[in-house]
Amino acid sequence: MAPVPDPNSVGGGAKRDEATTKVPSKDSKKKDDKKEEDLSEEDLQLKQNLELYVERVQDPNPELQKAALESMRKEIRDSTSSMTSVPKPLKFLRPHYGVLKEFHVKMAESDLKKMLADILSVLALTMSAEGERESLNYRLTGSEVEIGSWGHEYVRNLAGEIAEEYTMRQGEESSIEDLMDLVQQIVSFHMKHNAETEAVDLLMDVEDLDLLLEHVDSTNFRRTCNYLTSAAKYLPGPDDMLVLDIAYMIYIKFAEYPNALQIALFLDNMQYVKQVFTSCTDLLKKKQFCYMIARQGITFVLDQDMVANEQDREALQDIVNNTKLSEGYLTLARDIEVMEAKTPEDIYKAHLLDGRVSSGASVDSARQNLSATFVNAFVNAGFGQDKLMTVPSDSTSGSAGNWLFKNKEHGKTSAAASLGMIQLWDVNTGLAQLDKYFHSSDNPVIAGALLGVGIVNCGIKDDCDPAFALLADYIDNEDSSVQIGAIMGLGIACAGSQKDQIRSRLSPILNDAKAPLDVIAFAALSLGMIYVGSCNEEVAQSIIFALMDRSEAELGEALTRFLPLGLGLLYLGKQESVEATAEVSKTFNEKIRKYCDMTLLSCAYAGTGNVLKVQDLLAQCGEHLEKGDIHQGPAVIGLAMVAMSEELGLDMEIRSLERVLQYGEPNIRRAVPLALGLLCISNPKVTVMDTLSRLSHDTDSEVAMAAIISLGLIGAGTNNARIAGMLRNLSSYYYKDASLLFCVRIAQGFVHMGKGLLTLNPFHSERLLLSPTALAGIVTLLHACLDMRSIILGKYHYVLYFLVLAMQPRMMLTVDENLKPISVPVRVGQAVDVVGQAGRPKTITGFQTHSTPVLLAAGERAELATEKYIPLSPILEGFVILKENPDYREE
Amino acid sequence: MLTVSVKWQKKVFESIEVDTLQPPYVFKAQLYDLSGVPPERQKIMVKGGLLKDDADWSTLGLKNGQKLMMMGTADEILKAPENGPVFMEDLPEEEQAANLGYSAGLVNLGNTCYMNSTMQCLKSVPELKSELSNYQSARTKDVDQTSHMLTVATRELFSELDKSVKAVAPMPFWMVLQKKYPQFAQLHNGNHMQQDAEECWTQMLYTLSQSLKPPSPTEDPDAVKALFGLNLRSRLHCQESSEESSETESVFSLKCHISHEVNHLHEGLKHGLKGELEKTSPALGRTAVYIKESLIDSLPRYLTVQFVRFFWKRESNQKAKILRKVDYPLELDVYDLCSEDLRKKLKAPRQKLRDIEGQKLGLQASAKSSSKGDDVKMTDAEGSSNGSGELSSGDQPGGASSHMTGIYDLVSVLTHKGRSADSGHYVSWVKQESGKWVQYDDANTSLQREEDITKLSGGGDWHMAYIVMYKARLISM
Repeated sequence: MAPVPDPNSVGGGAKRDEATTKVPSKDSKKKDDKKEEDLSEEDLQLKQNLELYVERVQDPNPELQKAALESMRKEIRDSTSSMTSVPKPLKFLRPHYGVLKEFHVKMAESDLKKMLADILSVLALTMSAEGERESLNYRLTGSEVEIGSWGHEYVRNLAGEIAEEYTMRQGEESSIEDLMDLVQQIVSFHMKHNAETEAVDLLMDVEDLDLLLEHVDSTNFRRTCNYLTSAAKYLPGPDDMLVLDIAYMIYIKFAEYPNALQIALFLDNMQYVKQVFTSCTDLLKKKQFCYMIARQGITFVLDQDMVANEQDREALQDIVNNTKLSEGYLTLARDIEVMEAKTPEDIYKAHLLDGRVSSGASVDSARQNLSATFVNAFVNAGFGQDKLMTVPSDSTSGSAGNWLFKNKEHGKTSAAASLGMIQLWDVNTGLAQLDKYFHSSDNPVIAGALLGVGIVNCGIKDDCDPAFALLADYIDNEDSSVQIGAIMGLGIACAGSQKDQIRSRLSPILNDAKAPLDVIAFAALSLGMIYVGSCNEEVAQSIIFALMDRSEAELGEALTRFLPLGLGLLYLGKQESVEATAEVSKTFNEKIRKYCDMTLLSCAYAGTGNVLKVQDLLAQCGEHLEKGDIHQGPAVIGLAMVAMSEELGLDMEIRSLERVLQYGEPNIRRAVPLALGLLCISNPKVTVMDTLSRLSHDTDSEVAMAAIISLGLIGAGTNNARIAGMLRNLSSYYYKDASLLFCVRIAQGFVHMGKGLLTLNPFHSERLLLSPTALAGIVTLLHACLDMRSIILGKYHYVLYFLVLAMQPRMMLTVDENLKPISVPVRVGQAVDVVGQAGRPKTITGFQTHSTPVLLAAGERAELATEKYIPLSPILEGFVILKENPDYREE
Repeated sequence: MLTVSVKWQKKVFESIEVDTLQPPYVFKAQLYDLSGVPPERQKIMVKGGLLKDDADWSTLGLKNGQKLMMMGTADEILKAPENGPVFMEDLPEEEQAANLGYSAGLVNLGNTCYMNSTMQCLKSVPELKSELSNYQSARTKDVDQTSHMLTVATRELFSELDKSVKAVAPMPFWMVLQKKYPQFAQLHNGNHMQQDAEECWTQMLYTLSQSLKPPSPTEDPDAVKALFGLNLRSRLHCQESSEESSETESVFSLKCHISHEVNHLHEGLKHGLKGELEKTSPALGRTAVYIKESLIDSLPRYLTVQFVRFFWKRESNQKAKILRKVDYPLELDVYDLCSEDLRKKLKAPRQKLRDIEGQKLGLQASAKSSSKGDDVKMTDAEGSSNGSGELSSGDQPGGASSHMTGIYDLVSVLTHKGRSADSGHYVSWVKQESGKWVQYDDANTSLQREEDITKLSGGGDWHMAYIVMYKARLISM
């Protein structure tokens, strides 16, 4: 931490200089005379005593000197415990600082000289000119007595001076050994006195965080690590990684494995993850780890070293594979009593819009049926039952029973796939129900079935790998819609798995000169999903070649944007690793070059909060371009991607987007609502809601559409009544415009997603971890929304299903040691930031007590309201295993 | 011999023996016995691949106790329905219009909103439409050329509106209208001037009443008169000479005069039926002030009321507007504006209407006491359907069975927005047969709520009612 600026500021400093250099003469005497009159008897006594000591210090008699120094020290120590005002002894000694300093120079080396140095060091606290670091210098020549004996303020001041001295010496490349001794002392003092944050700050200044490991103990490591992890968000790379490394090591040292695992996941360091498993011996805890890994959505295979027993390993692997997710979700749904299937009409609530809805048309509208298909799919996602797709079809009469055929051509793809959404995470039932579509003779239906298989398997892994087994045969189908269904299904089902098998099947498509553009676009996208954040060279090469092969006309197509996006996803969150590819992208055709550049930049720094990249992107948005350039869209979305990682940056971004909105060109304005949607995804902030509501009536229909979709995104899975009301009014406002109405319907589906049990937020575990696959899904949708008319309102509406990657239950479900759900009371309230606070402050505020399973809204945190159980994870989100508290006594 | 377990839907078939010497088809037959899924419909997944019927077990590397997964159902295969649904997007335009529930808007041809809104209001009268469709295309002698053309153009316009979804450009009609009434063709700075909708309305009705006259000059009044015309019996009273005389006149609309004490349509109507005029008194031999009090002698099927919002302001040389708020009801009772004779005639039908309504209310009350919620709504719905039944019963004009009750329901409103008659904007709001209100703002049409219709009563700069049209509530005796 930088030294605290002197409150006396510049003017005061100059005056003080005078005082220090010149021995107090007439001036100060005058002052003193005046002051003396005001002094109480006690103070007068003290003053006279101190003056006497100063005189005696200069006495040639060492005995007298020593006595005087000791008395002086005593006076100072007695009074420096607090620093609310300048302690009297220091005040009275001020005029004599110069005298003592001069005398100190004259003194011969002795213990007494050191003693005097000690006292001068303390006096320098108030007397030393800025930048002189006299306090530190005297300290270094002093007697090295216990540093804390002079009080906190002294230590704090020293720490500041050390930091300055350190930077200076680093510049001169001189030795810092003597400093480090002092640092050791200070750190150990701070760590013992509830000032972990200051200790960490000092160590960061002197770039030696490793020292921390020696000084943390069981009482302060939590606060220390807490500070480290939150400070990491504001540090420039690579320091942030270093800081997290230290935090990880501290957690491991104190066997706080769940936290260690969290950091390991944050660092995306599989070695560390493995180490957590090997260091921990408790099987039950390992189960909890598996739940945490499953939530992050990464592919992770346990081996012999991590879990020795084969049966245990299988059970743990099942948890990692998310096979129990569907069960847990349904438990939650039953507990909240929302199992009853909802129809799109239940969501539209047209009866609340008296008079203004168009009369119940007797003829089906393909557009409206398609939107109903999506709404039905999103609302009933994962419940396994609905009122359109899963109702037993009345033989083949084709009447009311068969919703599938109420959709037109490519609409049938989305309709068939919606069955996968309804059966989300329940692979066995889902596959059984989708089976019938595989035997259809209608290509769009088959494509939908394939996509449905992908959706059902989203986030669920299985040894038999049903998704790949079923879809692989269709990758090279002669019908391009079937091909796309299979490719997109694979992308969703195997996101993040980095399966070489799939790459070897998809890469050839990319470089197949005969393949249609849409197939190539989806293949690139799926590869991006499967290899998300892997920086895989070969995939990158394939996509780059595919981009280079595109003709001028093809580069102008809306779908071409998926190629750069696929490329960008490979580097999601991987920062500098993108640079080589970014260089290559500069050689692309200029039509796509900048788009590619922006996409790569925004993906690589997604979720990092890197301020410099935010500035870069803002600069791009500030340019006023000729018509036809499309790269500013991804730049605006990129702003949100980079800034979304932490609250402060997020709020700043929302404000700067308001600017961009006012001064930007139309293509920027169209992207701003989407960026807002990403920043507040599943987190309906009122200010953002109002902005979007305003934009939803914009004269530019593209802006309005984006704003409507974003209204859906910010309210996704919340059932937010205010947004629902806004959308309902919009549905009557836009009832004549089929395209806008479609957007409104989709947004309504989002808001009631999973009947309010789901969230799209890619951040989880108290906003620390970012699930890469989830972010990939959302970003893909947003990029598709940049050209709404040709993609979502065209025949590629099924890209909406990419959102499934981000869909997760926003629940906290407690299970017992046999992983059976148990109900315990919990307090749920707004999370409070307790970083850097001493003691054990409350972590939530305004709480309500519920019994598990409970829903957690954005920014909420839960804590157990009973002592009967101990949670195995400090983060009460998702699945939490509870252990009975052995010390618990029934009262 | 290996044993494997196969997961199928929610079931797991444990320890199935696999004869690795036989082709996998045999294994599928085994599973057929267990699950009932025919082998050709079975999809068996082994480590990311499908088991082919002729595959070689040895290449699959099957292990003892391995878990396999099977997908497949014995259900009937999905068949597309023979007649797929017809989608709105595929329909020809006129059918889409039929599904929309209301007809198209009219394109503004340059300050023609007064004409568009007038025509939309008139179009809402089904009887007028049927009269027009009966109109002979060949001109008869007693109708002049331009009137004939205008009538034909009106008919064409109405039928075109019914057919299309997109807004219609009423060019032919507009040309004919200008021909017939050159005042509408006035230009100002090269543009057509905004005109008074009331003038257009009156002229249209006049023309139609002329051309739709029955060919033989019988006692029967013409169709337009039967629909819109009302007779007023006025008593003239001269205060100076105490002379009295009475006269009858036939008009197409009532005027609602707006003075500072008029807050409601009813007051305005009363005000409008009372007036002073100067005329030569035979007794005095000079002009004297007469007080004229009028009462309605016969009621029309469609009662048109014009709010006299515009007056000529000499200083500014333009028609200024009275912005005063004058409320009008959805249901208008004109009983106390009627003459004694008419009142007598109305008595019996009104009594019956009251009885029916009382009955309904009684029913409702009993329904309320017996059950709650839904039932009440049902009786409400019944009530409204009864209401529309009554309206339709009145479709035979002058039919012996239906009688006037003096009670009218609001069916269309023509509003004006702006500060003077020759500027601003005219819009019409028309109640559809479905009971829904539609706003026709030139080419734009939008659904409106009934409670918003009564909010067009003025008092601000919002649209305010200028001409309102009420439809008689008839009752069969």
